Amino acid sequence: MGVKTFLESWPVYRQLTGTDPLGRGEAAMSKKTANLTSRNTEADRVVKSVCPYCAVGCGQNVYVKDDKVIQIEGDPDSPISRGRLCPKGSASLQLTTGDARGQEVLYRRPYGTEWERLDLETAMDMVADRVLKAREETFVWDTEDGERVRRTMGIASLGGATLDNEENYLIKKLFTSLGIVQVENQARVCHSSTVAALGTSFGRGGGTTYLQDLQNADCIVIEGSNFAEAHPVGFQWVMEAKARGAKVIHIDPRFSRTSALADIFVPIRAGTDIVWLGALINYVIENDKYFRDYVVNYTNAATLVSEDFQDTEDLGGVFSGLDEESHAYNTDSWQYAGVKATAASGSRDSQYDARTTSAAPDDEPAPGPHFDETLQHPRSVFQVLKRHYSRYTWEMVEEICGVPRDQFEQVAQVITDNSNRDRTTAFAYAVGWTQHTVGVQYIRTASILQLLLGNIGRPGGGILALRGHASIQGSSDIPTLFDLLPGYIPMPKAHLSQSLANFIQADKADKGYWANLDKYLISLLKAWWGPNATADNDYAFDYLPRITGSHSTYDTVLEQLKGHCKGYFLMGQNPAVGSANAKMQRLAMSNLEWLVVRDFSLIESATWWKDGPEIESGELRTEEQGTEVFFFPAASHTEKSGSFTNTNRLLQWRFAAVEPSGEARSDLWFMYHLGKRIRARLAGSTDERDRPVLDLTWDYPTEGSHDEPIGEAVLAEINGWGADGKPLSTYEDLKADGTTSCGAWIYCGVYKDGVNQAARRKPAKEQTWVSPEWAWAWPANRRTLYSRASADPDGNPWSDRKALVWWDEAQGRWTGHDTPDFPPTKSPHFRPGPDDTGVDAISGIDPFILQSDGKGWLYTPVGLIDGPMPTHYEPQESPFDNLLYKQQRNPVRRAVEDKNNRYAPSGDQPGSDVYPYVVTTYRVTEHFTAGGMTRWLPYLAELQPAMFVEVSPELAAERKLDNAGWATIVTARGAIEARVLVTDRMSPLRVGGRTMHQIGMPYHWGPNGVTTGDAFNELSSLSLDPNVHIQEVKALAADIRPGRRPRGAARLRYVEGFQQRAGITALTGQET
Amino acid sequence: MVTRAQVLGLVERGRSYEEAAGDLGITAGQAYMIATGTPADGSMALTPEERVRPGVLPESTQRLSNPPHVNPTVKPEVLAWIRERAARDLAQG
Repeated sequence: MGVKTFLESWPVYRQLTGTDPLGRGEAAMSKKTANLTSRNTEADRVVKSVCPYCAVGCGQNVYVKDDKVIQIEGDPDSPISRGRLCPKGSASLQLTTGDARGQEVLYRRPYGTEWERLDLETAMDMVADRVLKAREETFVWDTEDGERVRRTMGIASLGGATLDNEENYLIKKLFTSLGIVQVENQARVCHSSTVAALGTSFGRGGGTTYLQDLQNADCIVIEGSNFAEAHPVGFQWVMEAKARGAKVIHIDPRFSRTSALADIFVPIRAGTDIVWLGALINYVIENDKYFRDYVVNYTNAATLVSEDFQDTEDLGGVFSGLDEESHAYNTDSWQYAGVKATAASGSRDSQYDARTTSAAPDDEPAPGPHFDETLQHPRSVFQVLKRHYSRYTWEMVEEICGVPRDQFEQVAQVITDNSNRDRTTAFAYAVGWTQHTVGVQYIRTASILQLLLGNIGRPGGGILALRGHASIQGSSDIPTLFDLLPGYIPMPKAHLSQSLANFIQADKADKGYWANLDKYLISLLKAWWGPNATADNDYAFDYLPRITGSHSTYDTVLEQLKGHCKGYFLMGQNPAVGSANAKMQRLAMSNLEWLVVRDFSLIESATWWKDGPEIESGELRTEEQGTEVFFFPAASHTEKSGSFTNTNRLLQWRFAAVEPSGEARSDLWFMYHLGKRIRARLAGSTDERDRPVLDLTWDYPTEGSHDEPIGEAVLAEINGWGADGKPLSTYEDLKADGTTSCGAWIYCGVYKDGVNQAARRKPAKEQTWVSPEWAWAWPANRRTLYSRASADPDGNPWSDRKALVWWDEAQGRWTGHDTPDFPPTKSPHFRPGPDDTGVDAISGIDPFILQSDGKGWLYTPVGLIDGPMPTHYEPQESPFDNLLYKQQRNPVRRAVEDKNNRYAPSGDQPGSDVYPYVVTTYRVTEHFTAGGMTRWLPYLAELQPAMFVEVSPELAAERKLDNAGWATIVTARGAIEARVLVTDRMSPLRVGGRTMHQIGMPYHWGPNGVTTGDAFNELSSLSLDPNVHIQEVKALAADIRPGRRPRGAARLRYVEGFQQRAGITALTGQET
Repeated sequence: MVTRAQVLGLVERGRSYEEAAGDLGITAGQAYMIATGTPADGSMALTPEERVRPGVLPESTQRLSNPPHVNPTVKPEVLAWIRERAARDLAQG
């Protein structure tokens, strides 16, 4: 170094001799600083992507250099995330490029004790062979009653909800063609309640609003969700509203960051939200706080209910039609008087026999008035509702929920003050509502309240279902769900001599857009079977296998335990720790012949045979386990192109930044090439059983060195096309004559004009707050559903402040800030004639265009099987008796009898004091679902290093628990250990005249990964909502004791000891 | 070192940030940062006052600091494939 260089390295010298005499700029810059460059400078391109974790759908910029991902950052152009990422999204570089990811196919041979290496091609061939063998051995053409089913129960699949729409589409398409009906995904265990609840209430199973619209709310009620921590980037819109003066209310068993940012926090006993919400309904009705013009015109309040209907008020807590022996309702008496409604969601096949006979009752409506717009008729929905909720008082809220009267009335007043022509209130919820034995009815209660307050379809109103997985909305829309076909078309149930015409007649509506079911279904059949779907063969309708009851993921577990199900695909899902009753999940897998696990790392569902809890306890021995296990490494979100549908119903396209390395492949690749192998093996078959898979349209173009199917081609098939070879623009163009093809009618338009609309990225700064040119929302790029209701019956906004869409008389069409969710030229003054049907029969004041009466349903005459109005029942396990009715639990819930699925006694039953506390579960920001995408990441493991349990200081004192010490939590099924966090976040409540304690636990952990811990689901049970078969994991009965749990077989004896003290038998908790 | 006045002076005379940066021998992202005090990549949440600072552009400015973006919305080979499928699948409809 020369003297001059030495001197110039001295800042004071530069300050004195240069152009920066104050030394505040260039002179002060060190050599190190001068040489710094932006971490992204070296990148040669930025690929637009979307975060793969929760369903906020944050935009990501993926920086690539020399075909390597070097950085991932938030995309500031996104109107949803505005550049922000939470800790998980920020760690997604480590998710995609970290060394925890498997790169090679692994194989565990039957009775093998170690993994072996297997090359990808060989493994794919072996899986194809096993699929065909299992299918051959288990294929059934007809039930014992002679109903055609054309299916196999020998194979099942369970996917995660971070799969792309295109991947789910190929899974459903291929497996359905093979006759596999047990096709499920995370949506079942997460938000299936939402689909049935919002679908029956409003017509569609998606959230009615979107995150950014929360900024327009005057009040936001967050209940059943820790919004700020589970969807942190989306929560910015709550804060935006708050900054504009909105009131934020949080109701939850636990104080969290959401509570900290709320104006009002209400601690509540887990499992009692229907009492709380029902009391709000009662308050609104009794105090004339409902939005009368909205209620009369846009809801079914004025419709009369059948004379045969009897309420819980009449029958001690159950509705008319209950058959106690079969634990089921005959729902006929719940119908409207004179006219029969059909369901837009939920159970849609219930009128099959009536509707497919020649003298269908719908043809001849009974005489007499069926409506009373004064709302005074005792059988009007309004009066029925009023009577039903009259016992849901603040006293009951105090006694059952543990919420004092003044707090209830404060919330009631804030909500009603902010619900009128000028003001709107939004509700946001998540799985704190969905995962109960009355999960559907929780959401229904909020739907009723929002309809009474006139908050649906309006800016700043609505009900936002906070989805927790990148495409959990998409995996319901393009359903890898046993009971649905794409676009919420029901999967056909088995009936004698069922034809396409019969199916459509039974399931379609006479009025509204579900009257076009034939167009949607036939276009789907054309997409799947192309030239082989013709009018002569009912468009291959008989190629669809039939369902016979529930084939949900929990029913699959029971089938596996019985030995009926031989093969299982797990694609991005980890039921060994992530599904209820983890032990039964693992035991079921141990009964399989083969198991395919596709994931990033060796999750617990891949290794239970080697190191699961049952190996430690001696219940299973590796050497005696015959299950053959294949582990296929999966491609990450930066390694494949595809679309996620976020919680806004927004399809956002991601582009592959690089190709996956090693033997990692996308699920799109896996399904496509598995299908090719299966078809090649069956080529030339004359067996009628093989026609659906051989006739399948399965010729997608491929690209890249791995022959990856082009995702846009699959999206284009989902969108559909006409005979002219042009992509369709809207579902209005679909036809029932076989001249249109469309894989999912609700997504029709996403490939409009041959442009991938989901890939549109017009920056938020360059468009309105609605951001209609950022990606594409179903249906028809409408961001707010039912927006006709944002205008009064004459088509004018209820107020200037709350204008969204309105009728432009001069133009003769609806217009506004959003694409109107209504036939665009239908005048508000149009009234259908008596002979009008279908879309023509939609009145100008029918905002709910998927409903068979065009109205929002305060009362569900059809569609749900556990009641037309939400009713409080205690959870399957509860320390308390039901104070509202003599009926303790949902009488038609699904309770599963199994030695590994015992239930605790409830209320005053002997032994209930053995499990005196209520356990509830939640997420933390830093981990994701069952942990497969976070527990292996050092960044996130460092932030949240251990499974923990939150208890109040009072409970800690009662049970002698030390902060940071160990505790053992025990239920009637299992015992786990966790680190103790003594915190005021859990506060004791006064319930039923005594103090009750609640225990909070996250559910992300398991024994594998960088951060390990016991899985919460060792504690949970199979107790299911009857509508959608979702599990109850938000309110369990438990005890907690200081210290670590026993190991090995001693753990079993420990649990048995509690069972014996509680007197638990196979019958406990099985009562109706 | 390039000053705010230099960059704003060029921008006010109609030069784009890319052109001004070329004139001054710095990157466009640096020019925007110097002129506005806010990063061009959009990674800062701006206050209402910052949004109206001299030199702040109303549109997205990521292009000033990022390499080219990959976001193709049209794929010709897919359109060709659609035409083939439609001709084959729907002819018998």
